[in-house]
Amino acid sequence: METQRTQRGRRTQRSRLVRALFLCVASLVSFVSFEPLVSFFPPAGVLAAGGGTIRGRVELRRVAPPVERRPTVSELGAPAARDVSDRLRSVVYLESAPRGAFEQSRPGRAVLNQREERFVPHVLAITAGTIVDFPNSDRIYHNVFSLSKAARFDLGRYAAGHSESRRFDQPGIVRVFCDIHSHMNAFVLVFSHPFFAVTDDEGRYRIENVPAGTYSVIAWNEGVSSEPRPATISDGGAAELDFTLR
Amino acid sequence: MKPGTTKRKWEAIACALAVCGSVPARAQTLPSEPIVFADGRVTFGGDVSASIGPDDTGFFNYTDYQHSALRLLRIDFTGSLKAGDHLAVLGEVRSENVGSPRPYALFLRIRPWTARQFDLQVGRVPPTFGAFARRTYAADNPLIGYPLAYQYLTSLRPDSLPGSADELLRMRGRGWLSSFSLANPTPDHGLPVASAFSWDTGVQMHVTSDFIEATASVTAGTISDPLVTDDNSGKQIAGRVAVRPIVGLILGASAARGPFLTETASQSAMGEGRNGDFTQTAWGGDLEYSRGYYLVRFETIVSDWTVPAVRAPLIDGPLRALATSVEGRYKIAPGLYAAARLDHLGFSEIVGTARRDTWDAPVTRLEIGGGYSIQRNLIFKVSYQHNTREGGRVRTLNLPAAQLVFWF
Repeated sequence: METQRTQRGRRTQRSRLVRALFLCVASLVSFVSFEPLVSFFPPAGVLAAGGGTIRGRVELRRVAPPVERRPTVSELGAPAARDVSDRLRSVVYLESAPRGAFEQSRPGRAVLNQREERFVPHVLAITAGTIVDFPNSDRIYHNVFSLSKAARFDLGRYAAGHSESRRFDQPGIVRVFCDIHSHMNAFVLVFSHPFFAVTDDEGRYRIENVPAGTYSVIAWNEGVSSEPRPATISDGGAAELDFTLR
Repeated sequence: MKPGTTKRKWEAIACALAVCGSVPARAQTLPSEPIVFADGRVTFGGDVSASIGPDDTGFFNYTDYQHSALRLLRIDFTGSLKAGDHLAVLGEVRSENVGSPRPYALFLRIRPWTARQFDLQVGRVPPTFGAFARRTYAADNPLIGYPLAYQYLTSLRPDSLPGSADELLRMRGRGWLSSFSLANPTPDHGLPVASAFSWDTGVQMHVTSDFIEATASVTAGTISDPLVTDDNSGKQIAGRVAVRPIVGLILGASAARGPFLTETASQSAMGEGRNGDFTQTAWGGDLEYSRGYYLVRFETIVSDWTVPAVRAPLIDGPLRALATSVEGRYKIAPGLYAAARLDHLGFSEIVGTARRDTWDAPVTRLEIGGGYSIQRNLIFKVSYQHNTREGGRVRTLNLPAAQLVFWF
């Protein structure tokens, strides 16, 4: 009897310790990660089964203006015009990863080019573990760096025809800049699951092979996120979900 | 006004900036990018830098009698207004140590052919000569101090003249407050070799290609004394050619010549009609190379000032200054870098009654430091300067300094 009570006491102590440890780790994770894009726990009611599709459109009431050059009065030449098309692209993603999502993701390689003093594409969405190549396609030096909590790196300055790479392991939003050209910037959205899509220029998106279940879906554009919206997916079915941002 | 009387005010602003900087990125309210409106036609940017350091008792870092580059709150607002593809108006307003804002630059940029990299700029235009003076933003300077050529005040003045070589020798190492017997006898600060703190007024042409960049200008002042209104009835002609033989390497050569004495000073020494004879002639060479995580810059300027020979012992020949600086920056980690600059400013010799000596006291400066980006547009810098001067009251001075830079 005495032994049982001691064992139960130890178990309670251990579970308290585990809970405390979990809380510490959880708060540490939420502190360290910069605007984490997905929760690490599956939502209630998720069934790991065949895939469905979430599709729709993200409407932008106002397109974010491109980042202009700083009006450097000491620059001797007039700056070239900026291209705004990339600002139309949004990212739609599941807030919570379906069970088994982590095993499904197969990180690969992606390219974020530097061309005409712009990062192309302006928005890149990848799964954690993906290696991103940053080729310099201009005839001038470029640099790629980020001070985001999800990825703090600096690839140095390198010339045309050269490329540097970086592996993105931590989910989050990574803002990428060039330290030579302050108007150059891009977003890399790193997800811990593969259930996300970048919209086309008209705002249309399609997330495929989503396991049946109920999810919260979020749309994001240039740092602005929508409120999470519920979507229920049946096996082989499709859910329509439109968003309006800004 | 004694230096440092506005200290409290700008220290308070520096503290406020530091507090803003510590706010997490998510709650950031300060702008991080230029402000654009009127459908992209109007763009505003800003640059605030607050530097703090001990009292510079040797006046090694003074830019005039009141302002030290190491104890300076500088607030800059720049703006551009585009009027179509051919015209733009650019301006910069600057305030130092919460003083009245002064227009630093205001000019019209004309691009006659949109397909060609050719610009014409009219007004208070960017410097043609050299490389450093066009790095206007505090973030462009990896350290806190300025290169001696662009900041250190020699004893020479545009409005006051030494009557003899002895008089000039007496002012060695006292450029922050020099006085001579001819023309304006009121003590005032002397001239740097080239000014990084004000811009000249005139017309500038600029043409560029991938390999070469050429700039030429006709302005009212000189590189050491840029002017808004001409006080010497003469114009400075300046030119610069820069080539980029390989990516990452820039080699530049500059030259400038123009009358530097005010008409009043010239007349009081030599009478009417001799103003054009008293010129500042300067040649410069610069190099910048960057690759990977490092950046190296070298710049040298030779400047000759021709001054009137009035009384014996005569100032024989032009007064020459030779400034050379080497600067390096290395990125240690993302957002963290180390930097150093070695600087020397030397002067030619003149012969006085009792001695032969350099007309001003040569200065050498070693500055080491580094910077850390708290966020992309908020940089904290620290530096340590070792200054030596072969003359003057204070011959050696070590100065630590810290600076916070915010820009958008």
